[in-house]
Amino acid sequence: MKRNYMNPYVAGVMLGLVLLLAMYLSGRGLAASGGIKYCVVSLVGNLSEKHASQSVYYSKYFEDGQKPLKNWLPIEMFGILAGGFISGAVSGRLKFRIEKSPKISSTRRLVLAFLGGICFVYGAQLARGCTSGAALSGMAVLSLGGFVTMAAIFGSAYLFAFIFKRNWI
Amino acid sequence: MNTRQTISVILLLLGGLLAFMPLSGRYSLHEKPGHLLSEVLEESTGFTVDQVARFVSTGDSTVQLVDLRLSEEFAKFNIPGSVNLPYDEFLEKDLTPYLSQPGKKSILYSNGDTDAGYALVLARGLGYKNCYMMQGGLNSWFETVMNSEFTGEKISAKENALFESRMKARRLFNEVNSMPDSLKQKYIASKRFDPRKLDGGCE
Amino acid sequence: MGPISSLPGFPAWLDLLFAFVIGTGFGFALEQAGFSSCRKLTGMFYGYDTTVIKVFFTAAIVALVGSQFLAYFGLLDLSLVFVNEYYINAALIGGVIMGAGFILGGYCPGTGLSALSIGKIDALFYALGGLTGAFLFAETYPAIVGIANAASRGPVRINEILGLSPGVFTFLLIGAAVCMFWIAEIAERKFARPEITREL
Repeated sequence: MKRNYMNPYVAGVMLGLVLLLAMYLSGRGLAASGGIKYCVVSLVGNLSEKHASQSVYYSKYFEDGQKPLKNWLPIEMFGILAGGFISGAVSGRLKFRIEKSPKISSTRRLVLAFLGGICFVYGAQLARGCTSGAALSGMAVLSLGGFVTMAAIFGSAYLFAFIFKRNWI
Repeated sequence: MNTRQTISVILLLLGGLLAFMPLSGRYSLHEKPGHLLSEVLEESTGFTVDQVARFVSTGDSTVQLVDLRLSEEFAKFNIPGSVNLPYDEFLEKDLTPYLSQPGKKSILYSNGDTDAGYALVLARGLGYKNCYMMQGGLNSWFETVMNSEFTGEKISAKENALFESRMKARRLFNEVNSMPDSLKQKYIASKRFDPRKLDGGCE
Repeated sequence: MGPISSLPGFPAWLDLLFAFVIGTGFGFALEQAGFSSCRKLTGMFYGYDTTVIKVFFTAAIVALVGSQFLAYFGLLDLSLVFVNEYYINAALIGGVIMGAGFILGGYCPGTGLSALSIGKIDALFYALGGLTGAFLFAETYPAIVGIANAASRGPVRINEILGLSPGVFTFLLIGAAVCMFWIAEIAERKFARPEITREL
């Protein structure tokens, strides 16, 4: 039993209402890469306290004995995993598989995915937000930074899409 | 009509409402003027200068002082920790950063009671319930906190506490107001509501 | 008056509960829209599937319109809602790097997580790469902090720069989005690739 994907406009309204709820309940927008950052910080802190306390970057997350995972962003991230799973479950889309173009090998896809992850989250940390945090939530509060970031992401993605065409089509 | 067309029409209508509707809802008073007046005349809406002196000398962060005088007067001297919101600009500005900081009471003051009283009626009428005024204004502040001296032979504990807090506030007042303008600007700026202090974002 | 978390006496743990509930809704909406499929997402850049722009702009506009109406009725205090700051260099450079990451990886962090939750192995590798990227950023932070913090203009709103009221700008944005939706549907027919869309 496999359900079709939801109508994009209806899904957009649903997503918009979730974003509105975030603004109303917590006074902030949605985010994704932030949660990943907190996971890394927490891992590093647990594996090597010395390194964490010596670094300018990590130490600020451990002041006063704080736990990095006890934060809005990583908890929201766990929520995303839960919500996606529920949606996949009710729509019959739960399946272990590698999604790729038939023109490339699985290995190539996995390597590219890994590299893409590195690039994207690195860029997101620099720009202080990813497509959900800076672009989507930024647009919803009319933030100039949000619009600029979104234009940069989509503009350059079109350019890279042309360059890396053979991997997708 | 397909979904795209339906959604487009609905959004365009809503957007049109937002664009052309006079969104000055927040400028209509929320209560009847008579009720507002009696509310403001009650003592519970006012703080004495001594109470304000205590807030100032203890650096109470649950209180935000709002100075209603003109900016030139504010620059000459003001109660430490206050922000400037000239009375003539009261209805032109977005009042929320001044009057509605979460968890903070806003205490309005001017030279006397007139401007502060009017401003308080307007503020409460517009829905900013956490607003009060300093009774007697700066005139009373100078008379009581800055210039009063204890006369008499013995001092009770309560009077002692009162005079101590007046002394502290007096010292702070003189210190901050004698800072060179550049430092004062920095001190004042640090007291202004900073939207960057909000929690949010993806980092 | 919202935001609820800014009310006096609000317990901190409740905000975390909100985070989980909101995240669940986020993940659910993303997966329902089909964003758990990298071929659907990248279709935006090859023309055969324009779901991304439809969902993206509809969501942003619904939240934008909704928040303004809530503010009008005194239910939400917009000055207490976070507005991200404008760091010119960081936004542009970071945006370009993210664009590369999008095409290489096929996901953005939010969609990648929703894909991971339904069992996509490539999304797993993407997430591992994401963790690595965050780690790299943390380790190279002293070298890059200059770029990250350069040219800050603060939490400036776009309608202020253009000298428009929020309502008017919203209306113009809706107009632009409606045009984009129309063009997107034409593009989908023109650049159609049924061999891919059949599998999605």
